[in-house]
Amino acid sequence: MGRIVGIDLGTTNSLVAYLDPQTGQPKCIPGPYGSALCPSVVSLDADGTIVVGEAARRRLLTQPERTIYSVKRLMGRGPADVQDELKLFPFRIDPSSKNVIRVKLGGKVFTPPEISAFILRELKNWAEAHFGETVDRAVITVPAHFNDAQRQATKDAGKIAGLEVLRLVNEPTAAALAYGLHEKQRGKVAVYDLGGGTFDISVLKLISTSDGDIYQVLSTNGDTHLGGDDIDNLLQAFVHELILHDDEIDFSPHGELAQELRKALIDVKHQLSETETATLRFALPNGKVFVHEVTRGALEALIRPVVDRTMGPVKQALADAHLKPTDMDEVVLVGGATRTPLIRRTVQEFFGRQPHIELNPDEVVALGAAVQASILDQGVKTMLLLDVTPLSLGIETYGGAVAKIIPRNSTIPASAQELYTTGVDNQTGIDIHVLQGERELAKDCRSLARFTLRVPPAPAGLPRIEVKFLIDANGILQVAAKDLRTGDQHSIEVQPSYGINDSEIERMLEESIEYAEQDFAERQVIEARTESESILAATAKALANPQSAALSAEERAKIEASVSALRESVAGSDYKLIRKRIDELNHATEHLAELLMNSAVSTALEGRKLAEV
Amino acid sequence: MTTAPTSTTQSKTMDYFAIFGLPRKLWIEMSTLEQKFLQMSWKLHPDNFVNASEEERDLSLKRSSELNDAYRTLRDPVGRVEYLLGIEGARKEGEHKQQAPPELLEEVFELNESLDELREAKAAGNDLAALKSRLEVAEKNFQQKLGEVDAQLQTVAREWDTALQADSGTRKKIMAKLNELLNRRSYIRNLVANVQKELL
Repeated sequence: MGRIVGIDLGTTNSLVAYLDPQTGQPKCIPGPYGSALCPSVVSLDADGTIVVGEAARRRLLTQPERTIYSVKRLMGRGPADVQDELKLFPFRIDPSSKNVIRVKLGGKVFTPPEISAFILRELKNWAEAHFGETVDRAVITVPAHFNDAQRQATKDAGKIAGLEVLRLVNEPTAAALAYGLHEKQRGKVAVYDLGGGTFDISVLKLISTSDGDIYQVLSTNGDTHLGGDDIDNLLQAFVHELILHDDEIDFSPHGELAQELRKALIDVKHQLSETETATLRFALPNGKVFVHEVTRGALEALIRPVVDRTMGPVKQALADAHLKPTDMDEVVLVGGATRTPLIRRTVQEFFGRQPHIELNPDEVVALGAAVQASILDQGVKTMLLLDVTPLSLGIETYGGAVAKIIPRNSTIPASAQELYTTGVDNQTGIDIHVLQGERELAKDCRSLARFTLRVPPAPAGLPRIEVKFLIDANGILQVAAKDLRTGDQHSIEVQPSYGINDSEIERMLEESIEYAEQDFAERQVIEARTESESILAATAKALANPQSAALSAEERAKIEASVSALRESVAGSDYKLIRKRIDELNHATEHLAELLMNSAVSTALEGRKLAEV
Repeated sequence: MTTAPTSTTQSKTMDYFAIFGLPRKLWIEMSTLEQKFLQMSWKLHPDNFVNASEEERDLSLKRSSELNDAYRTLRDPVGRVEYLLGIEGARKEGEHKQQAPPELLEEVFELNESLDELREAKAAGNDLAALKSRLEVAEKNFQQKLGEVDAQLQTVAREWDTALQADSGTRKKIMAKLNELLNRRSYIRNLVANVQKELL
């Protein structure tokens, strides 16, 4: 088994972290540019090479049609869901997309999980380069308010990237874990997490028990389409307007000019977190330079609506936890957008206390993911996360209404049983429609899955099918049915309404390996094979030496057996097995090496293995 | 065709009270319940079984979800009563859910009239202030009634707890009372929710 890491798969930036066993503290792993932030940008070269991260971000300016950013906004969503996004983001949705969105990149099409997988694979490579070992398992964070489909899509992305996703952890919960480890906090904590594309608020209770610390999430709320991106969009629209007015230049969101302006605006926005005024300078295609002085006050007036939109979910989360703002013992700010002074002020005023900003708001989620990864890896735990489901789970009943069966903010895993029967004689199927959301009508909730229960023909009302809906610790739905009359368990293939199926994931996994540079495991196999070639050659040479006659028949047989075992393992691709066989052969040839050495020229070789002689 | 479930009662095979080692009493010491919940979570949570066999992982998922379901239900005083009646086979929802309890008939009639007026005024774009304040008064009135029902529920719950060893006739009578109070409570709650929706 390889190493395990924690990954924050963000809208704007992604990070990978691990728990340093020496210090017991989590640490982010830097990439080739020295920064731990990997821009969540993917670009496809003309020759078919995939470029991820900083290099891809640079291509947003030079090859926007081959480059995609903020793909997290498309995860787990259907084409009809994203029409609003398309006005603001340069996503090129393939017109043939039906249930699953396919995005055009250069001449190829990819699903959002495939694109996210490129980012995950890049981070996997960073970590493998750092450890010099394979990384095959991960804890990946998701916005707390992600629904089942968005979570499933994230898990799929992990699989496509060749990672076993041991757990999806909610981003604000991960942040609380990182802070808890850092500051030994206790009591009630509110985590306000405004990222690039998503907003979450979680209310937690940190409890010390005799077993260890428990992080119990009491409630969560948020908006999966509200974040720093929205601030950038407002700025962009505002400046487009100004430029359009002055110079009559049009910016289509797909163009290079729009990307260039966006980057310039983001720089101005960042600067205004530090200073009161900043100047936007932007070269226009007509040769003029657009210059505009922006004050922090003007920026705040512009972005206030975005900040205000976060406060509704904050109030709802507190209400659901039956708490008042002043009941909070600690408030934690997470996400790059919380560097904005207006947000810090707003949160501070609302809770009446100074929020925590000690940990880097960009890194804290990845750090928490690393803590959880190490807890899951070790099996011996010192803390426990009890998280909740962000949305109520319901089933459609007569007249398109929804019966809630697992309310939002239920601790997960959570389950509910429903008993079904038939309405007419010899009915052979019962249709079930599972939804997620708080609205009363099915059409206003998110459709998770539709499936048909198969029932043996019988008089109406006689069949008794118990269906168990279970939300697992990742926040993902599982369904099982049991025929109470026969005791038969039905396995239900729940096809997510906007998901991709397992065989598609398999295919994508294979393809992604083709795109990615040579896999770490592959490199290991090649190295192990090279090493075994040299040791096999050295053994053959040594056995040909007259000194080897001093070996006992038993020793000789053992060497020969080890040689053929190594040869056999080299034919396969399990580098760990090859390494084991190499060690065994080394062990079997110890006496032979000694014999050769005794006879040989130099006593300086003593103690060295055969392959090194 | 989507078929409604025939029943929303929990599976009869497990008993939420038994999960916590509690008798089927309606008064539960909350801090003890929470402590037990946390202790058992520590043992049963799937995080402990990530590297275990598939059977163990399945069992952990099943038992921790049951624990969470049980805690969620018993923590809520009304949910607790509803659950108890369910496992005792005494929960019967009102046959005419939409029908007002007789003693509330007059007030409900007035309330519905005010609601209609508000909807009409909204549609016509008229001034809503006067109508809204009238509804707010009505809402307060029904909130108070909700409080009364909750107080009655508590009284009868205590009756149940002392009658745990009593004969089945006595117990049945208490359960019938609880059942009726639950029905009334859900009727009033719906009413309040409707008013709140219009007042938003």
